Amino acid sequence: MRRALTILALTAAAVVALARFDTEPPRVKNPLSALHARPARGTPSALQPGSRPPPNRPGVRTATSPPMATPFSLVQVQVTLTHGRLTGVETVALTGDGPHTQALNARAEPILRREALQAHSARIDVVSGATYTSRVWIKSLREAIDLARRG
Amino acid sequence: MGTALTVEIRDRVVPRRALERAFGWLRWVDRTFSTYDAGSEISRLNAGDLGLSEAHPLVRRVLARCETLRAGTDGYFDANAPLRGGVDPSGLVKGWAVDVAFAGLRRAGARQLCIEAGGDLRVAGGPWRIGIRNPRRRDQLAAVVVLRNGAVATSGAYERGPHVVDPYTGRPPAGTLSVTMIDHTLAQADAHATAAFAMGPRGPVWSARLTAMTILADDQVLLTPTFLRYRA
Repeated sequence: MRRALTILALTAAAVVALARFDTEPPRVKNPLSALHARPARGTPSALQPGSRPPPNRPGVRTATSPPMATPFSLVQVQVTLTHGRLTGVETVALTGDGPHTQALNARAEPILRREALQAHSARIDVVSGATYTSRVWIKSLREAIDLARRG
Repeated sequence: MGTALTVEIRDRVVPRRALERAFGWLRWVDRTFSTYDAGSEISRLNAGDLGLSEAHPLVRRVLARCETLRAGTDGYFDANAPLRGGVDPSGLVKGWAVDVAFAGLRRAGARQLCIEAGGDLRVAGGPWRIGIRNPRRRDQLAAVVVLRNGAVATSGAYERGPHVVDPYTGRPPAGTLSVTMIDHTLAQADAHATAAFAMGPRGPVWSARLTAMTILADDQVLLTPTFLRYRA
């Protein structure tokens, strides 16, 4: 239960940031261009605590959430913010034990990543019927965004 | 509740104190109604350490509302079903707690507001475009609905495995993949989605007068007439 409380607290922090952030005009002309600038994914060393590497370009911030566990898998998400707007989402770690979980995750992960970017473009505001992985993934996403914003 | 929860406020910055109050309320609900925490009022009620008359007035109100819902759903929304020999109002608590937090944020000035808790949500000041996940093909949405004010809840057998059981058989319902319900409050939408899902083949008949979308195991999608109005 303590864990659940932490989620709520972290979400509260992220909410304030989001509410403020929405009032800023979009400055990225082509958000997709930032997607190609991300580091390679899926290296075994990815499972490290949440981190915030120094920005290499002005206005661009990247952060990685701490690895988070579902009963089935580990999830770690990296985000890129350009002038405060979400321009890149990368799942750097998504593991599962059984073949069932791996099959589900293989399908779930690209969708979730697309949804994050879709949500940003306001085509879909929110999704009903979330899954266990998606909840943890969204939590990781929020932590990563939070880290990047604080950076 | 043990659920990730997002609050999105579009139109203005709501006083930080109002947000803190909302999250403080949700933490209190979590502490009070948790079935995992041995010190919660619900756990103590189930252990016999706390009498119903000594319980917090809101605990009593929630349990009374569970009884009303049980009667209104032919017994399929059953707070006694998930936990053998005890009461577990979790199926109502999440939606109810979100409804209360929602009302608080509205009073604090939020007009364009969305609270999402574990795939169930309550919105105001839309249009909000809401994707309904396809329970079989996760790379697809089964539908998109547009909602100005109201709540959307989806109940189904997801990768976590079946966690809704038919209270009469004790087994997960067969034949239905998910039920999505639109209603005025999340408590109502969530409880009705859970009940309709637990009913299995009877669900679509029972929910015909409600605003419901049922996805059957043979990939048929059943929409009630009022649900059609919300499709994007």
